[in-house]
Amino acid sequence: MAGESSVKINYLGALTAGLWRENPTFRLLIGMCPPLAVTTAVKPALTMGLSVIFVLVCSNLAISLMRNLLKPHLRIIMFCLSIATFVTICDLYLRAFAPVMSEILGAYVPLIIVNCIIIFRAEACASKNDVWFSILDGIGSGTGFTIALCIMAGIREILASGTFAGIAVMPRGFVPWAAMQMPVGAFVTLGLLLGLASLLTAKKAN
Amino acid sequence: MFSKLKYFIAESWLLLVSSFLFGLLIAVADAAWSAKIAQNKAEKLSGLMTSLVSDANSFEIAIKEANLPGNGGQTVKTDIYKALDKQGNCAGFAFIAAGTGFADKIELVIAVDARCEKLFGFNVLSSNETPGFGDKMKNAIFSNQFKGAPTGKLELIKIGDAGKIDNEIVAISGATVTSTAVINIFNKSIKSVKEQLQQKGLITGNGG
Repeated sequence: MAGESSVKINYLGALTAGLWRENPTFRLLIGMCPPLAVTTAVKPALTMGLSVIFVLVCSNLAISLMRNLLKPHLRIIMFCLSIATFVTICDLYLRAFAPVMSEILGAYVPLIIVNCIIIFRAEACASKNDVWFSILDGIGSGTGFTIALCIMAGIREILASGTFAGIAVMPRGFVPWAAMQMPVGAFVTLGLLLGLASLLTAKKAN
Repeated sequence: MFSKLKYFIAESWLLLVSSFLFGLLIAVADAAWSAKIAQNKAEKLSGLMTSLVSDANSFEIAIKEANLPGNGGQTVKTDIYKALDKQGNCAGFAFIAAGTGFADKIELVIAVDARCEKLFGFNVLSSNETPGFGDKMKNAIFSNQFKGAPTGKLELIKIGDAGKIDNEIVAISGATVTSTAVINIFNKSIKSVKEQLQQKGLITGNGG
């Protein structure tokens, strides 16, 4: 009975860890390229987040299925192979069914291949755990990453354009901050959010 | 020899099988969606060309893989499209031209009239120019200066009347590099396109 409940806790932990405790952007500071590059608006950030969730879940699933067959010298190459496959499929899908988003995201979709989050989850979780645990871990980490992207994009889009996901939210006469659309805006927003995350963590620890 | 082969297969069979399966997966996805991707590309280009040539009813390729001057003396291949009006007459020509901008390559769709004497203007196919500065090349105040301008050499000026249509183009404030890049793309490509259309006998009258 005790064993069963501990397994349940682990599955729930796999799903929720990525949301805050092991949030890739705010806590682990990995995969920092998309938060800086694709957060000028909410829609592309959400598309990037959903793409990462798809790739994380599929690559975790594939690696978890083959985890008992992985030899040490083949490990990294098998991770790269499976991640590259699902990123290519995701890129093709976006180019076919979301061409506008694909164009806005540009090279950042193919660059998911080298995103640390995915290879990190493959190494730390999928290559050591069962299929369901790995899928839940992929969903959790991907969702945490997507939430972080959307928070950053929301702040930047509101201040840079006065809109949220394309809907005007600022009063008439609002002067857009062009800098928030530029790389400097991404660094400032990320820095402030990381500071806030550290503050919250420190308060919780105290 | 056989033992070596056996060792090789034992060590790498997973990689070989996975490569085949993953490759198959990509091939299936590509086969399923490549037609849709090609259609999206064609629709985008057609939309951009149609918005420039107002009389256009359809487009056909006038010169396939025409050579246009690129960066560093290189040539770039691009199709030159002929716009046809409802009666099937030539309403103008359109093509893709590219050059180096401030941040990255700028790709423009440029359209000219049937005699290649006047510009219909340009649309941006792709660019990564600085938001708030270089990306203002898409704004009407800059792009409208090209509509109706002569196809001769364009000059970039920093101060002037942006509403006056002639060969002088007023630069985007704070984005001189992008403005110069756009002018260079025009000056390089238009001359070459005009020559090639003349050689093929596609320009009527004294198109040059």
